[in-house]
Amino acid sequence: MATKEDILEALADYQVQCNNNTRLRRMQRDWSKLIHFLAEDTGDYFTMDVVKGEIVSYEAVAKGAPDIIVTTVSENLCDMFWGDLNPSQKYLAGEIKVKASQEDIIRLDAITMIIWPDV
Amino acid sequence: MTTLRKVLKLRTVISTSVGMALATSCYLAGLQVATIVVGELAWISVLVAGLFCLLSAMCLSELTSLYPSAAAIKLYIQNAFNERIAITIGMFYVVLGISMVGAESYILSSVMINAHIFISPMVDRIVWSSIFILFVAFLNYRGVKIAGLAEDIMTFSKIGLLAFVSIYAISTIGIDFSPALASPNFTLPKIIQAAGVGVFLFVGFEWVTPLAEETTDYRLIGKGMLITVGILSILYSLFTVALWIGLTPEQRLSGTAIPHILLGRNLFGTPGVVLLMFMSALASVTSFNAGVLNTSRFTYAMARDNVLPKMFSNLHPDYATPWAAILGLTIFSLLVSVVIFITGQYLFIILMAAALECFIYVVMAICVLRLRKKYPDKPRDFKVPFGPVIPVITAVVFLGLMFGIFMDVTKDYAGRVLFANYWLAVVMAGFLVLCTLYSMLIVPVFKKKAAERSATRQRRRPGREDKGVRAAGSK
Repeated sequence: MATKEDILEALADYQVQCNNNTRLRRMQRDWSKLIHFLAEDTGDYFTMDVVKGEIVSYEAVAKGAPDIIVTTVSENLCDMFWGDLNPSQKYLAGEIKVKASQEDIIRLDAITMIIWPDV
Repeated sequence: MTTLRKVLKLRTVISTSVGMALATSCYLAGLQVATIVVGELAWISVLVAGLFCLLSAMCLSELTSLYPSAAAIKLYIQNAFNERIAITIGMFYVVLGISMVGAESYILSSVMINAHIFISPMVDRIVWSSIFILFVAFLNYRGVKIAGLAEDIMTFSKIGLLAFVSIYAISTIGIDFSPALASPNFTLPKIIQAAGVGVFLFVGFEWVTPLAEETTDYRLIGKGMLITVGILSILYSLFTVALWIGLTPEQRLSGTAIPHILLGRNLFGTPGVVLLMFMSALASVTSFNAGVLNTSRFTYAMARDNVLPKMFSNLHPDYATPWAAILGLTIFSLLVSVVIFITGQYLFIILMAAALECFIYVVMAICVLRLRKKYPDKPRDFKVPFGPVIPVITAVVFLGLMFGIFMDVTKDYAGRVLFANYWLAVVMAGFLVLCTLYSMLIVPVFKKKAAERSATRQRRRPGREDKGVRAAGSK
């Protein structure tokens, strides 16, 4: 089980990886979303604010009305932000649940695919 | 628990579901239903088909409430059986499903050449069909999305126009049931046989299940599907009868691919032709667009899951659309269209789609039963009432309908034999064998390669730098 601090640390790295990736920034340049992540085993919520492809903030609370809600266990969240798991596989296995449009689900998956293409 | 800022409403769920089912090829399938049974009483078979689809919609509603995911059908089968069967049936469904575009593009091009021939019927047909397929591919490539409200307006306009044309035809021409009731074709076996073909009219209504993730209440999808089947049943019943009584016997005998256009001409003259051409184009584009949207996403997801070649997971650098998957499906659609143009057997595809749909409904009903046994305590927002009765009936009925289709012979109105339907079973079995071989022989190779890649990759998470990326199912 990953703690809130573990996930925040992972999110910090995720933010750097995303924001420094020019290919990803180009693809997501018109994508602005408020994303909620719920670690269902710990009950912790995380909010990530993406503005024009840039992760401008993240915090360990459920803030605002989200465009996307991702629900899974804390370990999956932590590994996903570190690029240590393929979110598509987990999603197709039903281990990650996403409430969002199909386009947003692809864009969310694209982040991992572009930053860590070998995952 | 937080809720999404923007959620789909029941209205949009219905319009999406109806929009996917209302394709141009449905008009022709309606006429085929009327040809099998007696035209004036074809509505009975349409309603029977609708009733059967209602049972299936109930099963799908339970599955959606259990797994509200865009991965829908694959996830149901995977959890009920295993991944290999899920891949096999998922691919079988997608490949044969997308081949419907061959019939759709053929009929739409027939509509267009009916208005004007520029070079020759054959050349014009190919050009129109290519334009249609490439236009939809372009929409998907650019990520052009038909917004919820636009989709609602378009679909409800189509419903309104079809209802208007049908009621106008029935009220002005009138129906004489007496000869129909006395016809030798008006028998229970014929009604059921026609209902099997009538299932085609509803093909696509279940493609709304991936939208479960965009709703606040998963039950909306189930409710939407049930209402959709109800709307389509009434609409098709009216239109099939209107089509039959609105065409002259000569027009029926001609084996036309554009009965709705002829109906428009008979009823309203040139304005009727224009109106129904517009409806046809709208129906084809929205239905095919939704088909490509869903299947390209499915192909992308399969590639990301190392089931298909990795190239299909490529996203466009600007539009974030799965361009390789879209391109692959477009090429496949064009190839199917070419085959249809050469053979002219668009009815073959329509009947194959009906049989495929029956097959999928059987699988879904079995999934309901197996998942109830495997996960009896897993929460379900909707559970089909009366225990196993309805899923069992659904499985038996659709299995019967599927074999009913296979054992028949397709004829046109004049009684000419077009083809023996066992060829449908042969083609479908061939595809199923190919998909099975693919999942047994090729997928393990892709999975092995992916496992080797991940085994050599060092994990980035501090304290977990042991090698190997976590696969699905691993803790």
